[in-house]
Amino acid sequence: MPLFLFLNVGDDLSEYYVCTGCALLCDDIEVETEDNKLTRVHAACLKGVARMKACSDPMECRVDGEKADIDSAIAKAAAILKNAKNPLIFGHGNSSSQAQKVAIGLARKTGAYIDDTSSFCQGPIVEAIVQDEFKTCTLDDIRHKADVIIFWGADPSNSHPRHLSRYSYFPRGKERQRGWEEDRTAISIDVRKSDTASICKDHRFYQIPMGEDAQFMEALLSALSGKVPKTSFDFDKKRILELANVLKKAKFGVICVGLGLVYSLEELEPLFKLMEKLNEVSNFHIMPMVGQYNMRGFNQNLFAETGYINRLKFNAETGETEHGAKYSVVEALRNRSVDAALVIGSDPLSSLPLSVARYLAEIPLITIDPCQSLTATRSTVTIPCALGGVESGGTAVRMDGVEIELKKIVETDNLSDEEILTRITEAI
Amino acid sequence: MGFGQFLAAPEIKLKISTYRDVFQNTAQESSRFGEEYEDLSAIIKLDPKDISKLSIKEGDTVIVKNAFGKVVVVARRSEYEEGHPGIAYMVNSPWSNALVPEETGGTGVPKFKNFEVTAQGAKSEKVTGIKEIF
Amino acid sequence: MAFAVDLLGRKAKVEDCPSLVSEEKYKANYEKLSEMIGPVGDVTETGLIVHEDKCIGCGNCVVACPVNVANDPLGAGSGKAPSSEKVIFKVEDGVVKARNVQECRRFGENKILCVACIDTCPTKAIEFV
Repeated sequence: MPLFLFLNVGDDLSEYYVCTGCALLCDDIEVETEDNKLTRVHAACLKGVARMKACSDPMECRVDGEKADIDSAIAKAAAILKNAKNPLIFGHGNSSSQAQKVAIGLARKTGAYIDDTSSFCQGPIVEAIVQDEFKTCTLDDIRHKADVIIFWGADPSNSHPRHLSRYSYFPRGKERQRGWEEDRTAISIDVRKSDTASICKDHRFYQIPMGEDAQFMEALLSALSGKVPKTSFDFDKKRILELANVLKKAKFGVICVGLGLVYSLEELEPLFKLMEKLNEVSNFHIMPMVGQYNMRGFNQNLFAETGYINRLKFNAETGETEHGAKYSVVEALRNRSVDAALVIGSDPLSSLPLSVARYLAEIPLITIDPCQSLTATRSTVTIPCALGGVESGGTAVRMDGVEIELKKIVETDNLSDEEILTRITEAI
Repeated sequence: MGFGQFLAAPEIKLKISTYRDVFQNTAQESSRFGEEYEDLSAIIKLDPKDISKLSIKEGDTVIVKNAFGKVVVVARRSEYEEGHPGIAYMVNSPWSNALVPEETGGTGVPKFKNFEVTAQGAKSEKVTGIKEIF
Repeated sequence: MAFAVDLLGRKAKVEDCPSLVSEEKYKANYEKLSEMIGPVGDVTETGLIVHEDKCIGCGNCVVACPVNVANDPLGAGSGKAPSSEKVIFKVEDGVVKARNVQECRRFGENKILCVACIDTCPTKAIEFV
């Protein structure tokens, strides 16, 4: 619920902003500013504050290593994309939905590959959700109704610090008036005892060997079907049976799916089967633990236009699209299928395996970002952009699909990502 | 200076699992090229048994490598209650990504959280700087 | 022995023992003692200490604290930014700040051994000494 409906005792006119540190998009953030900089940030977590207070090495506008003005940089970027036969436009998760739509248009115009981090991250889960293959819910639903919450291969204490305090475990909700103390059970299934696992009661932490999530799921499935749960790693059968009982009794269960689970599953089939059984005997929902603040927005925006959430190649003449693993950023780089790239709000030289990303340094490369990055150090053109949610507004989509409006807090000389992409598109 | 300087440092095989750390992530937001980010990223968390096998002390530098890359990071003793010899933990970072295999089986998804390396004491070699990784 | 008692009762500081500070043979002991007693130095009268270097601003303590819930049910008590001045914990610049600690249920007339903030902290940043 938007917080501007909310009375602030003892303060005069409080303005609430949205933090773009992660896909929780916390909208109860008060700030103090001075000289167009944020000096104090209230309520946001450590990571969120660091994002909102901006980095200490801002991006510089450069062409071929030399300082340049914005118009020259945009002209050069447009030329690179125009001359490329197979350009790639990658990133998007840290852009507003408005900017993402312009990027999609740019990809269409230039016959480009277009992909985002979901391609090697939460893609399969988000795809299943937008295609209505998984039952899902909102974060507010979780707060108001969830009584059993499983963090599977997820450690929100390190990835989404306020997840448990705002929504998934601690707070009281409409149907959970006694919150974590009596009305909720938090369960962690992971390969190590993460910080989140330490918050769950000891007997609610299930430690499984690396790569064995599918097997554990099958064992759980057996237990839910009244059969003896067997695993090759001899997991205590009594504990699995007991877990199955807890899940059966849930009135509103949630599985928060983290990358630990996504990377462990070769395909989603075991999770589909588990969810099917859980919804037969109980009531369970999937929540994808999306990282970047608007990754889901990109997936939904691209899906609305093309029927796919990522991994696309546009044909400039026909406007048709080709989709699949072959067109993913990782395979396109491995196979050297692309001959130029525009990277927006992402740092693939840091976040992709170097063995894959190093090819980017061999092709004309454009980086658009508020901050310096490893990818920028190897780029032909670097363009500084406004920090989303602080220096520019727009809308973004939270991990649960709810659209949140971002507000501009301070002024900047930098253009927003939407403006930069629009100018590049116009210059082509 | 003893005989030890002439012996090759023992090498062990490890399976790496990567994780997220909010302090390291926070340092990345503030200054990707700063000292704090390097201090929080260029580390490997080892089971005490593996630390012994490597003949090193906690805080020593180790060379971690495989066919795809090589980095020098600081060895730390892991705080997990359950022992995990043969498995080591690295925080998701350019240092860990330097070692992630290129093979994907055509799926578009590399094995970020489960790959193999060998580790060896680095004696006096310094930690790989972020700009040196590439 | 008397010095040790005074140290623990916070009536004396490590530096109050001149031999410890000046004599080389006690250097290791001095360092060890300083390390042990150090954290206690920052403690408020009520014994609550927040180790800011461990705090991640997750807000678990803010929403779990029964005093916060009682005094600010729709704000801090619901996991949102506090809307009342009468809260014990609130997150500022990414770390939790404690105030009004005398309201904590561990003190006052009806002492309860409340451990909400300690048990809910993922990094053990909160301590009562």
